[in-house]
Order: sequence, then C-alpha cells, then structure tokens
Amino acid sequence: MRDPLIRRLPRELKSDAGKYIIIFIFMVIVIGFVSGFLVASKSLITAYNDSFVKYNIEDGNFTTVTIADNALLDAISGEGAEVYENFYKDRETDDIDSTLRIYKLREEVNRVGVNEGALPSSVNEIAIDRMYADNHSIKVGDVLSVDGRKLTVTGLVALSDYSALYQSPTDTLFEAFSFGVAVMTEQGFDEFDDAGLNYNYAWTYNDKPADDLDAKDRAESMLETISEKAMLTRFVPAYTNQAIQFVGDDTGRDRVTFITFLYVVIAILAFIMAITTSNTITKEANVIGTLRASGYTRGELIRHYLSMPALVTLISAVIGNIVGYTLFVEVALGIYYGNYSLPLFDILWNVDAFVQTTVIPVLLMIAINFFILSSKMRLSPLKFIRRDLKKNGRKKALRLNTKIGIMHRFRIRVILQNLPNYIMIVVGIFLANVILLLGMGFPKLLENNETLIAENMICDYQYILKAPVETENDSAEKYCAGGLMTIEGRRKSEAVTIYGISSNSSYFDIEFGEGVYISEAFAAKNSIEIGDTVTMKEEFSTKEYSFTVDGISGSPTTLAVYMERSYFNEVFGNEADYFNGYFSDEELTDIDELYIMNKLTIDDFTKLSRQMNNSMGEVFDMFYWFGLVMFMLIIYLLSKIIIEKNAQSISMTKILGYTNSEISGLYVITTSIVVIASFILTMPIVDVIMRILCAEIFAAYAGWIPYSVPASVYVTIIAMGIAAYAVIAFMQFGRVKKIPLDTALKNVE
Amino acid sequence: MFLEISNIRKGFGEGDSRTEVLKGIDLGIEKGEFCVLLGPSGSGKSTLLNIIGGIDNADSGYISIGGEKTADMNEKALTLYRRKHLGYIFQMYNLIPNLNIKENIEVGAYLSDAPLDVDELLHTLGLYEHRHKLPNQLSGGQQQRTAIGRAIIKNPDILLCDEPTGALDYRTSKEILKLIEEVNRKYGNTVVMVTHNDAIKNMADRVIKLRDGMVRSNRVNESRISAEELDW
Repeated sequence: MRDPLIRRLPRELKSDAGKYIIIFIFMVIVIGFVSGFLVASKSLITAYNDSFVKYNIEDGNFTTVTIADNALLDAISGEGAEVYENFYKDRETDDIDSTLRIYKLREEVNRVGVNEGALPSSVNEIAIDRMYADNHSIKVGDVLSVDGRKLTVTGLVALSDYSALYQSPTDTLFEAFSFGVAVMTEQGFDEFDDAGLNYNYAWTYNDKPADDLDAKDRAESMLETISEKAMLTRFVPAYTNQAIQFVGDDTGRDRVTFITFLYVVIAILAFIMAITTSNTITKEANVIGTLRASGYTRGELIRHYLSMPALVTLISAVIGNIVGYTLFVEVALGIYYGNYSLPLFDILWNVDAFVQTTVIPVLLMIAINFFILSSKMRLSPLKFIRRDLKKNGRKKALRLNTKIGIMHRFRIRVILQNLPNYIMIVVGIFLANVILLLGMGFPKLLENNETLIAENMICDYQYILKAPVETENDSAEKYCAGGLMTIEGRRKSEAVTIYGISSNSSYFDIEFGEGVYISEAFAAKNSIEIGDTVTMKEEFSTKEYSFTVDGISGSPTTLAVYMERSYFNEVFGNEADYFNGYFSDEELTDIDELYIMNKLTIDDFTKLSRQMNNSMGEVFDMFYWFGLVMFMLIIYLLSKIIIEKNAQSISMTKILGYTNSEISGLYVITTSIVVIASFILTMPIVDVIMRILCAEIFAAYAGWIPYSVPASVYVTIIAMGIAAYAVIAFMQFGRVKKIPLDTALKNVE
Repeated sequence: MFLEISNIRKGFGEGDSRTEVLKGIDLGIEKGEFCVLLGPSGSGKSTLLNIIGGIDNADSGYISIGGEKTADMNEKALTLYRRKHLGYIFQMYNLIPNLNIKENIEVGAYLSDAPLDVDELLHTLGLYEHRHKLPNQLSGGQQQRTAIGRAIIKNPDILLCDEPTGALDYRTSKEILKLIEEVNRKYGNTVVMVTHNDAIKNMADRVIKLRDGMVRSNRVNESRISAEELDW
C-alpha cells in the first residue's frame, strides 16, 4: 500500500504556498542563471579550444625593426616552427577616437571568423572586429573613415588571435573602445603608406608544446635564436599572450565562481528549509509521537519530511535548467559577446552543467536536511508525544541580569530561542553584503580609479620618442623611459616602466639618493617596502637588475620605478645626457610625428577602467539586484518562521493585554536589531574579504587597481538594506496583527 | 452589579451546520465574588468565559464591567480593557516557553501601573527557588502556579479561570484551588471559574449551571467551604 502520508504533501504545499513559491522562484532564477552561464561558458570553451586548430592560431609572434631576412626565417625553421608574415598597420579612425590595427586577409595562420557579412574583396573594403563595431554602433554596409580613406564595412569578424582585444601585451586589460582590429585585402592594406608598419611574424610549432613549461623552454630557445639574428621590438609566445589566453583563463575562473556561488546559495536555502521543517516537526510533535508509537519508523518519517524540500529543489532545478538553456544562456552569451571578440559558436548541451545544477543541488538539499532532521527525529516517541523536544535533557535557562528591563530581557530571550534562524540571517546578510558590495562597489572602484589616475598624472602629455629630439616648449621636461619585467614567482612576470627623472624636476618632487623610488601600485601589488631590494629582468634576455627601494611615491595604478636620469643612463649604458621622452603640460607641436613612438594622455590611462565598466556593467547590475532579492528572501522566510514559531506566545500576550505594537516590539524589533546589527557588523569583514578578493582579481591582470570604495557605498548598502528590511518588517507587523487570540486557546502546549 | 451579562447569544457555522452555543445568557456577578460556571462539555461555559474576556465576540447581547460595555469597544479599546481589568488562567498554562518563571510573571507586571511585588508573589506561590527555571523544567502544578502569578501580578479586577485544574492530579488541583481562593480573599478580585468538576462548586460564592447554552441555575452558595475541605 502506498504511504498514506504522501497525501499530506499537496496539503502541506498549499498551506505554506507563500514560502514554497518564493523558494521555488528564487531557485529557478539562481539555477537558471548558473546553468545558462555554465552551458554558455562550456560551449565557449569548447569553441575556444577547437579554434586553435580550426583557425590555426599561432604559437607566438614577434616584431622586428626591419623586415626579416632569409637567415632569420631559416633559423626559425630550425626551431621546428613554421613562420608566417603577419604585418599590421595601426591607423587612427577619423570620426571615432580610436586606433584600428589593420592586417591583410589571413589564410594560413590566425584565420578570421566571420560573424556577419563577408570578408572584404576590393581595395576600399574592410571587415572590422565585431565587438569594436558593437561599441561604436557600426553595421555592415556603413562607411568607416580611416586615416583619410573611406572604407566600406563588409563584415563583422573575430580575429582568432584577438579574442580579447589587448592592444599591447603589457596592457592591464583589453578594451574595444579606442582599439580595434580589422582585415583588408592585400591591395587595400598596401594602399596605406608604410608609416607605422609593423614587421610582425607569427610562428607555429610543427609539434605542439606538451605544456606551458615546454612552451616556455621552447619560447626561450626561440627568443635566443631570433634575437641573435634581428633586433626585436616585440616577442610574445602564445602562452603569455593575453589576447589569446585571456578568454580561456577567465572563462575557467567564471565557471568555478558560478558553481561555488550556486552551492553556497543552495546550502543557505537548504538550511532555511531545514529550519522551517524543524519548526513544522515541533508543531506536529504529538502527531509524530503517535505515528512512531503506532509503528512508523524514524526513516519513514524522515523521508516524509524530506520529500518537500527535495521535491521543490528537483522541480526548481528542472525548470531552472529549462529556463537556463532557453533564456539565461542568451543573457550569458550576451555578456560573453560583450566582453570578448568571439566567432559564432554553437550552444552545446552538456551533462556537466545538468549534474552541477540539478543533481548536486538536490543532493545538497537532501544531505543538509537529512542531517538536521535525523538529529531532530532521534527522540523517543514518548518525548514527541509529551512535546519534550530537547535532546540533552531539559536545557537550563541562561540567567539574565534582572536590572535589564523585562522587555529587553524578552528580546534577548527571543534571540536565544531563535539562534539558528538569527545565525542564518547573519550569514545571509553577510553573503548579500558581499554580493551587494560587488554590485555597487565595483563600478565605484573603477570610477574612483579614474579619479586616482587623473590625480596622479605626472603631466597632461607624456611623450615617448623613437630618438632624442629637442623641443622649444618651456613646459617640456626630458626624461628617460624603459621597461623591465618582474621575476616570475607567485605572480606572473609583468612589465614595469622605468623612469629616469631629470634632476630638479618640476614634475616630480623626489630627492633621489642612492636607490630608487617605486610607485604605490608596484609596492602594493608585490608587497614591497622601503629598504627592500627589487630585482627585475630585461624582457628579451636573462639580464637582471637590482635596486634598493628608498621610497614609495606616485602612481597607485601603474607599476613604475623612478630614478635619477643620470643613474638611469649609467645603469642602462646610455650616454650621460640621453633621454627618450618628455613630460609636458602642453601639447608639443614642434616635434615631428615620425619621432614620436607614443603620446600618452589621461584617456590612455583610463581606457582600462572604462572597458571594464562597459563590459561588466550588466554583471554588476545583476549582482546588485540578486544581492537585494537574496537578502529580502532570507530575512522574509526566517523572520516569518520566528513569528509562526511564537504564534502561541504572541496570542497569549495579546490575551494578557499587550498591544500589537508592543508585541511587534518584542518579536519584529528583535529581528530588526539583529538585521541592522548584522548589516553594520558584517560590513568590516565584508570589506576585508572584498580587499582580498579584489587583490586576487586584479593580480590576474597587468598593472594594478587599488581597492578604494568610497564610504558612501557602504552607507548606501546599509541604508538600502535597512529600507528593504523595513518592507519586510511591515509585512511581519501585519503577520503579528493577524494572529488570532484563540490560537492560545488551542491546547497545543 | 459589577459584571453584567445580558442576553448573550453566540453561534458557530453557517446554514444547516450552524450550532447555537449560547442561547441568551443573562447573569450578574458582584465585585469580589467567587463564581463557578459549571456544566458538561459543549454547554457553552468556555465560550461565555471567552466573551467575558473579550477574546471572542457575542452575536448579540452585551457584557458590562463596572459600567463599560465590551460590545461598544474597538480592538484597541478591548486590548486596553483586558490589560486594565482581566487576568486569565488556562487549563494548559500558556506560559511563554523561552522566558523563565520570574520573567513570565514580569510579563504580566509590565502591563500594570501598580503591580504587586514580583519576588513577594514568587514566595507566596512557592516558586521563588524555581524563578530562574524555564517552564518546561517545572511540574504541571508549578507551571499553573506561574500562570496564576502572571494573571494576578497586575492585580486585575476579574480573574478568569478556564478549567485551571483540568490537567492536574487531585493533590495539585487542590493546591491550585487553594491558591486561587487565597488570591480572591487577599486581593478581593472577582473570580469567574469554568469547570466541569462538580465538587468545586462548594468553594464558590455563586454557582451558575449551564446546559445546552442556557443558564439552568444561578444560585448563591450559602454554605461556602474552603478549598482545603473539598473532596472528589
């Protein structure tokens, strides 16, 4: 015979429909969101991994000062590699403030995926990166003005070696506003003059490296071979090329984050379910006792009380997956396409995502509920019948100082009685705070980063020259600029700008001694202190340099070392009066463009934060709303339980003559105190976690973004949380009001 | 008449399933009187007590206490009425489980501008040494004494007792009855006690018998005996 208790389930569902509907909707959203992302990211990763073969992505590239001769090409072949011409020209767009890196159509290496339209076929046609086009609302058929030429956009494409649009390997982050890539026909490419032509070559190994270590060894050998035969300006093995690697690394990180996030949320919901079920068991204690006395086993009853949480989770997971595969996958793809330059790829059904978003959440829900329920059900039938549900004998009451007024003591007792609920509220608020701070704090952090950059600009125009040339401008001050790499250790090796500053500089207020000064960013990212020795190496050789740190000053956002110009020239073997750049607060108009390698303004330094904000803005918004909804849900469910659990006492206090406001003062205000205190007290911990989290996130990128979220964000989160809670408190007040006086008359004690 | 009950009618349910529980009750109880409402199950005695206590409404008729009619009161006024005038004692004690014994009594004291002394009352109730314990650490009799303490700490005009000994054994029941009697004597509260134990009528000043929602008899007990002398 079928277990007759099953018939209770629909009734249980009906009687507590509000709770189950809320948990169901929330789970569907979370599971849908995560499964959408997992499916999208798995499809993306599969397409990304396949793209290495499909588009024949390079194993590295290098740029030489002059065109490579046969001796060099032969030497590369000797390294067991195929070498391909991969010349490009950086050209300014006329109507948009951006640089377009133009390549010839590629047929052999780093082939191009067409997302929309077609590849160019005539001289005045161009196919541009799809993401760059989206950012500037350029469509197929539009005419783009590039360096004085009118070019028709024939297609929106993805260059396989630019899945993340890093203009330079040393950039902190890719960005597709002021930088884009494009392909043209050979004739179209040649039509541009050769100014800014880069003799770039890509190579592929005949036998692919076994792993990154092998790739590193072979790249070092390749570097030695090439640098013997040519002067290099760029050497980027694929395993270090962020433009190629970033998508794979970042998507991998995303998956771990999403899965962890899902399990944490499911665990919280499981605890909430377990608390509500425990509450039901307390209410139904005598019925349980009677059933146990009549022969029902502990297991049968545990199974009965587990059914609803498991069923709700299972249904939510199945529907969540349907929503994930149909709806959220599009959202996820939108975000990935908004971040990366990806070719079109198919959505692949994957078993992993189904297991991770269906099987594991259901098992997690069952495991947590089973653990709590089986411990609760361990009592004897008699204890259930007597409603004596304390496991370890009768618990002693904690003594409270009687000088504390009865109403305050009452509130303390409510907290002690509902400790598991309140602990879950604190944990929930803590997590919601982390999510809210990510959602609200991150954009502010990036915004603040721009302000920091502006405040710490050495000058308005920073020039890097190809050769020393003089200027008549009085504002200009000579300096030397060079680059070294940090030594690979816990963090990846990355570029550091070395500045040689003129003595009596009007742009730097530093009295140099025997050592060097380092930027705040360099110190923060690598935990360097005054008095330490920093060792760096040349990018294309193994030569190392060590400096003693005399002070920390300047840029909190870029990795830099400052030293006196004379010392710089001595260290790097230059002539005593050598320089290769100017600091200036005015634009230098008397220097020929040919001599200028780079002109850096505030826009160049802030482009990274802008791209981050643009590509992650939607995610921040999602975090924000999700955090808020999660917070409200947790508080709603748990405070509802507290009121329900105390319905008898509330009813009795009403009979005694307590007003609804006084009773709310005992039960609702107590929760309010816990909620507000949790908001305020968890914030410093959340702050520390965010600092650690951000340090880890930003460490993955070149450069540095210091953690500085204005206090107003914290205040806003707390104020917003309290305002959201006010809505719930109002609902709970209504709940208290609705409890009838005759509840106390039902002899359930 | 201190407590006036006039033509109280009350029914439950709709249409065919409607049951008239009280069919026009008229009563008067003097201030300080110990009144017992006696009757079998379903006679309407608890319903009447709840209407007197303002936790249930009559379909018609009115209750007047010291000239104040409860039917004219809104919810707020009813709350104030219970707060000012009434103390309640139930069969199942209805103590607040997460408050200790002293705190449960203090919950009652909080409602009064001039409550009795809590510690003194704890001594009177024989609960002083148990004051830090939770209700579930005490016996039924001790819990009921706590409930009595909570009800009388604010020195109410009327003490409403709904089967206060219904869940207790003979010896404990007598203890509780003695306590209520003592309270009635010491503080002069009017006591209205619902019971189906016929023996208890002997300790009352007034005995009202109900059956089928009607008053079958209403008499003053000329030969009231003490709770100590009761036997059943």
